[in-house]
Amino acid sequence: MLYAVLIPLLIACFIPYLSKFKDKIHTGIFVLFVPLSIFIYFLQFIDTNFVPVAQGYSWIPSLNISLDFYLDGLSLLFVLLISGIGTLVTLYSIFYLHKSERLGHFYVYLLMFMTAMLGVVLSDNVFVLYTFWELTSISSFLLIGYWHYRERSRYGALKSMLITVFGGLSMLGGFILLTIITGSTSIQEMISQTDVILNSPYLPLVMTFIFLGAFTKSAQFPFHIWLPDAMEAPTPVSAYLHSATMVKAGIYLIARFSPVFSAYEWFFIIVSGIGIITLCWGSYMAVRQTDLKGILAFSTISQLGMIMTMLGFGTKAAAFAAVFHILNHATFKGSLFMVAGIIDHETGSRDIRKLGGLMTLMPISATLALFGTFSMAGVPLPFLNGFYSKEMFFDVSLDLSSTSLFIAEIMKTSIPYLAVLGSIFTFVYSMYLFFGTFTGEKHLDELPSKPHEAPIGMLISPALLIVGVIIIGLIPNLVNEPLLAHAAKAISGEEVHKHIAFWHGFEAPLYMSLIVVIFGSILYIFRKKWTDIYLLIPGTLSLNKVYDRILDGSEKYSRKITNSYMDGSLRKYIALIMIATVLVTFTTMLTTDGFTIKTDDLAKVTVSEILIASVMVAAALGTIFARNNVAAILILGVVGFGLSVLFVLYRAPDLALTQLVVETITVALFLLCFYHLPNLRPRTESFKTKSVNAIIAISFGALMTMVAISAHSSKWFGAISEYFIENSYELGGGANMVNVILVDFRGIDTLFEIVVLGIAAFGIYAMIKLRSDKGVE
Amino acid sequence: MSNLAVLPIVIPLISGILLALLHKKIQLVRVLAQLFTGINLVVAIYIMYVVQKNGSIILESGGWDAPYSIVLVADLLSILLVVTTNIVALACVFYAPKSLSKQQEEFYFYTFFFMLISGVSGAFLTGDLFNLFVFFEVLLMASYALIVLGGGKVQLRESIKYVLINLFSSMLFVTTIAFLYSVVGTVNMAQIAQRVQEVDQKGILTTIAILLFFVFGTKAALFPLYYWLPKPYIVPNPVISALFGALLTKVGIYAILRVFTLIFVHDTDFTHNFFIWIAGFTLIFGAIGALSTNNIKLVISYNIIPAVGFMIMGIGLYNEAALSGTIYYLVHDMIIKAALFLLVGSVAYLAGTSDLRKIKGLIHHYPLLGWLFFLSAFVLAGIPPFSGFIGKLLLLQGGLQNDEVVIVIIALLSSLLILLSMIRIFVRGFWGEKDESIRVDKKAARAFTMPIVFLLFFSVLLGVGAELFYPMIENIAAYLLNPELYIESVLKE
Repeated sequence: MLYAVLIPLLIACFIPYLSKFKDKIHTGIFVLFVPLSIFIYFLQFIDTNFVPVAQGYSWIPSLNISLDFYLDGLSLLFVLLISGIGTLVTLYSIFYLHKSERLGHFYVYLLMFMTAMLGVVLSDNVFVLYTFWELTSISSFLLIGYWHYRERSRYGALKSMLITVFGGLSMLGGFILLTIITGSTSIQEMISQTDVILNSPYLPLVMTFIFLGAFTKSAQFPFHIWLPDAMEAPTPVSAYLHSATMVKAGIYLIARFSPVFSAYEWFFIIVSGIGIITLCWGSYMAVRQTDLKGILAFSTISQLGMIMTMLGFGTKAAAFAAVFHILNHATFKGSLFMVAGIIDHETGSRDIRKLGGLMTLMPISATLALFGTFSMAGVPLPFLNGFYSKEMFFDVSLDLSSTSLFIAEIMKTSIPYLAVLGSIFTFVYSMYLFFGTFTGEKHLDELPSKPHEAPIGMLISPALLIVGVIIIGLIPNLVNEPLLAHAAKAISGEEVHKHIAFWHGFEAPLYMSLIVVIFGSILYIFRKKWTDIYLLIPGTLSLNKVYDRILDGSEKYSRKITNSYMDGSLRKYIALIMIATVLVTFTTMLTTDGFTIKTDDLAKVTVSEILIASVMVAAALGTIFARNNVAAILILGVVGFGLSVLFVLYRAPDLALTQLVVETITVALFLLCFYHLPNLRPRTESFKTKSVNAIIAISFGALMTMVAISAHSSKWFGAISEYFIENSYELGGGANMVNVILVDFRGIDTLFEIVVLGIAAFGIYAMIKLRSDKGVE
Repeated sequence: MSNLAVLPIVIPLISGILLALLHKKIQLVRVLAQLFTGINLVVAIYIMYVVQKNGSIILESGGWDAPYSIVLVADLLSILLVVTTNIVALACVFYAPKSLSKQQEEFYFYTFFFMLISGVSGAFLTGDLFNLFVFFEVLLMASYALIVLGGGKVQLRESIKYVLINLFSSMLFVTTIAFLYSVVGTVNMAQIAQRVQEVDQKGILTTIAILLFFVFGTKAALFPLYYWLPKPYIVPNPVISALFGALLTKVGIYAILRVFTLIFVHDTDFTHNFFIWIAGFTLIFGAIGALSTNNIKLVISYNIIPAVGFMIMGIGLYNEAALSGTIYYLVHDMIIKAALFLLVGSVAYLAGTSDLRKIKGLIHHYPLLGWLFFLSAFVLAGIPPFSGFIGKLLLLQGGLQNDEVVIVIIALLSSLLILLSMIRIFVRGFWGEKDESIRVDKKAARAFTMPIVFLLFFSVLLGVGAELFYPMIENIAAYLLNPELYIESVLKE
């Protein structure tokens, strides 16, 4: 299985080379064999007695990240969809994309996506699943942005990436929590520890995290807004990623974890609640669209909502209905997208208002669309697979187990009504899609190119899918036991057997279907009369505006926030740093009882010391108030000289001398420099600013003083200087201890301090000599 | 005892001096600089091999016993960071001739470069708090010289802020060392750790610890101390920005990591919880900063801040997973930040501007550069299977193990913002219509990409081949959680 997952990626490495021959051989022809062989490989697993297969490969064992693949009914269904639709889409793309396009890029992205998507549905290790999950987002980003010279493509690509990566990150959080709760990174192991997870206090958080991942990926309300904009991608991509496979990754995730969560009562409320809202909203919005792909995008949203709703029910029958519809939706929606692509390709327009009457010009496409749309609408005819799953949906919506939660009870009663409501709109847009395009008046003069039937190659793929629609419709039990039953079992955790039949007798689901058809027809015929209601509710635009506002706001407000404090004022920066230091350090001192003061080991303070100290304090203060450079420097010098006098008093003549020399040189240097600098400007800040600065300075000084006093009063250990005093003469061979320390005990310090001076010298030399405005002097 | 531990400090020191003497013979200097950096990398890798086999290498300088001498401690953490430093250095030294003007090269770029490497390696290797201060001075002085090299007006304006704030924090550093010395009577880190443990970090010690945190936090550019970082980092030549962005803040993080896993670990409820708060704010404000600008260099510069936020988060969480995450992230970030600064430097050079609003469709001219940028955006945002993911995964695991849900959510959200800040550059600058007006210089682009590919190779390797590195990093984390090991290895008791 590892090879099956990685082969597309490996082949992708050769595509840039192969695409050099694209003038002779369309690159897609090389690619076609990849999904086809994967499809054929996995076909062998379809069997009534199928048992799940697990295969493991080591990757990062010490982090419990390993390439463990697990193929059960659910994965098998998805793998077949990915490779099967993948084959058809590749075939279709050979005729859809002209050789002058950047085919190499297209197929690299497409193959990357195949690997990613296969990885998502086959990985048993949550972190590997997450890796592939993000890879699907990335490849989807690249495919949506394929025609990146278009503004809308760039917008759509970024939008889809941000929303799905947001979900992915959230899902990662959920996965990490699950690994911590269960101590395992394997999904199957987690399922076996369902009790542990259900009793964990983190359960609500885990569910929120994981559901966010699923809902964003599967375009559930209110995260669905990225999908319509993703329609900027080339149509084969829309058919493949944004209808048949990638958007179902969220469905897959919920289905995969449904054995774990479905026992929790909020599972139904959230999953079915969001699902049914998405179903209704998507189908309601689809009617409003004028772009063929726009209608299909909202239709996909709505259908995904329907599958999600069924998964939320948590019953065996619902699980079966869900997997059945996953398969059916892929067939009819895939073909419809391809037909939409054909119309776009042949007429140059996807605007349904400009289309019409194409039946006679494109009879084959029209026939395909007829089956596709009627199947989608759930018209009760025995050769349309969409009808079966739609009716199953009605059936399971009437058969929900009772719960104790009030909100769940309300939902239980309302869901069948909402299901019918959503389906009525589904019926309306399906009819609109077909009749609006293929019947009615022709507007040939408004179309960019003269429409004619598509080349046969383009029709093969949608035709094969429609054959699928019809076969499943005629012999629904063909795929039942060997495939669907296993998939449903993986979701519900129990054996699921169901016989699919066209005729159930006069029961509720049938009446519901009839209501849909009757009301749907009425609404479709009189649609001109009621479509004004779309003007009342601003519709999807408002949600898109929320996204735009967040995105623009993220720039605008981050600029505002950042510029509010990063204004380039050094004084402000230092003030902020000092405030933070003072506040935190004072708090620390208070809470840890840090301040101590001991006076017993202090020597007597003499008059001369007081005198010198006061002169130093006065001089330090004086520097602040000095209005003249030279004066400020001279006054500052007083502080330094005061210090050397103190050294003299404390009998450290060497230090005193050093200090004197340093002080003299710096004062002299300052004076030399300041001669060339402009004079100090008088301070113009307000009194308020000055006082705030004064408070900051004083409190910082107070802080340092208090820490110094405490540090002095906490001499709990003998200092290592005792060792130096004892040994500097005998072992170090020097009578001056300071010198021995400098050149021997701590020679490295001295060496590198010299280095520092050296660098400074070179640095200053380079700074003076090399100037960008003057060049080298 | 082995002298090996001093080599990563001394080799660049001598190289720097030698190249200062030869500075006019620019061809020779280039070759020698590349050669010496290569040798230094090989030596560092060899030392890492020895340390991994035989345990930490302790060098008591001058032959005096610890704690009276300055000790150099090459344990796995130090030497791993030294190796990473030299990988970054190697990429930069090959990038430099293409990026710098000949005059900048002649005016001792390579000397300052080697001094910077020497200082950074010294800071990683020293086992003495005062000596750490000295190495900080070495690397800062080298950085002062580098930041003004070339002497542009903007450079001088921004560098004065950089210099003054760093000077302030250095003053605070040396003062704090004095306070600490007064209490524990030593500057040897192992002995400080031992003595702080003896008195259970009572009294003024936690306050001193917090002061030290502020010192290192200023170097590391944590909230609310990072104001000096973003703009000064983008004014010098890209290769200098890359060195700064990759190495300087990381030295600060390393110092916090060392001091708060070795010495001040007896009041973690207070200190380390405080770090988690700091991490949260650093992540948020850093990511916001990265979104606030259209200057592509500044975007990268701001992105340093959330990265250190991730690292301090791991130190604050203080469990094995989180500390492994911090170390992994440290190594990852050194490499990717260097790569990114070189990348945007190349982009700005080739596009003739660093204003994103004036750049479009670059991918038509420079496809390889575009895809490298695309890749590095995902590396930076921590998307698997690249290096950023492993570190982030460990940090998030560590966070959730400690029930710190809020910081985990902040970390996840800031990852999204980081990705947005990067992908925005890709979508607007690389995608779009072909810009016919720019002068295409394929030769320069090719020369620029080699060092970037070299760095990104490690980013991918650290992710895909995590199994090669993670066990070692896990060992380091376990070792850090048991400070006795360090103390015993230095003081030999």
